[in-house]
Amino acid sequence: VLEERFERLLQANGPSLARLAASYTANASDRDDLLQDIATALWGALPHFRGECSERTFLFRVAHNRAIAHLVRSRSLGSVILDEVEVPDTRPDPEAGLSERQQGQRLLAAVHKLPVMYRQVMTLLLEGLAYSEMADILGIAESNVVVRLNRARQMLRRLLEEKK
Amino acid sequence: MTADTELDLWRAQWRSCSEIAVAADLSRRVERQSRWMRIMLIVDVLVTVGIGGTVAAAAVLFPNTDNIVLAVATWLFIASAWFFAAINHRGMWKPETSTTAAFLDISLRRCRARLRATVFGAFLYVTEIAFCLMWLYHYHSQRQVLTLGTFLTWNSILAVWLVTLVLLVAWVRYRRAKSRELAQLRQLSQELNQA
Repeated sequence: VLEERFERLLQANGPSLARLAASYTANASDRDDLLQDIATALWGALPHFRGECSERTFLFRVAHNRAIAHLVRSRSLGSVILDEVEVPDTRPDPEAGLSERQQGQRLLAAVHKLPVMYRQVMTLLLEGLAYSEMADILGIAESNVVVRLNRARQMLRRLLEEKK
Repeated sequence: MTADTELDLWRAQWRSCSEIAVAADLSRRVERQSRWMRIMLIVDVLVTVGIGGTVAAAAVLFPNTDNIVLAVATWLFIASAWFFAAINHRGMWKPETSTTAAFLDISLRRCRARLRATVFGAFLYVTEIAFCLMWLYHYHSQRQVLTLGTFLTWNSILAVWLVTLVLLVAWVRYRRAKSRELAQLRQLSQELNQA
């Protein structure tokens, strides 16, 4: 039953977890490591989940906690500073419009550049979580979530403008 | 562009990062890793019980002073290690499902606990080695003419010095890594508490 539940959670939320992992890592190899770390933590935590919060809140809590741990580890090892990560511009022609996927990459690169406290709320907002869920995941007041989100959106807007 | 339209657009772009996929064998790898972690835990317990059991059995089967002293000292070392681990990790329950703020707080406490454990571990190791060397010297000097200088340069004792040297290097590196981790955790904690 546990294996089925674990498989179902991973299947249903795999892309969300992968995007979250991508927003905290500098390259594909690090991202895969973090994903495995998240999945391992989820496997360990799942038997203790008693439904105190929604499954999605539970999942994102585990994922964000592992992402924080990964961030601390990579910073203390002196790995690539995330602020310096650039996603290459793959546009064949500057005049041509960006495809949605390329725009997604541009957005991801901009989210990368946000300070951690804004990156946290922004990734959750982009995944469609409610303010109350974000507060529940991060352990901060809902009013604080709103303040962080406003600043995060302003910063993200500015970063995307710079990239145009 | 209104805020909601902007958000809808961002969300659509965000979800379009579709080439990022979860590896198909991820759950199998996780199960393998969990199994491996359980095996390592069992090995830890088995080694402890094995060493403690052997010296205790020797003391029961051949109850002379040497064997009894060795058994008592070994179990004192084992008990002090488990006691320290229990005290040092008190209140640091598995934090994976806690909020990020609580997780960071526990991570800071865990990191400090690991640094404390390195100091205790070093103290315990030096005490154990000192005891074992004294015990061995006493044991062998009863059976043959043996000077301390000769004993300390036996090949098996030289191997102990070599292992100690390797452990010292590993200890210094581990402490440095944990100190850096603690500094990063503090910095991250400050960053997250700015707002």
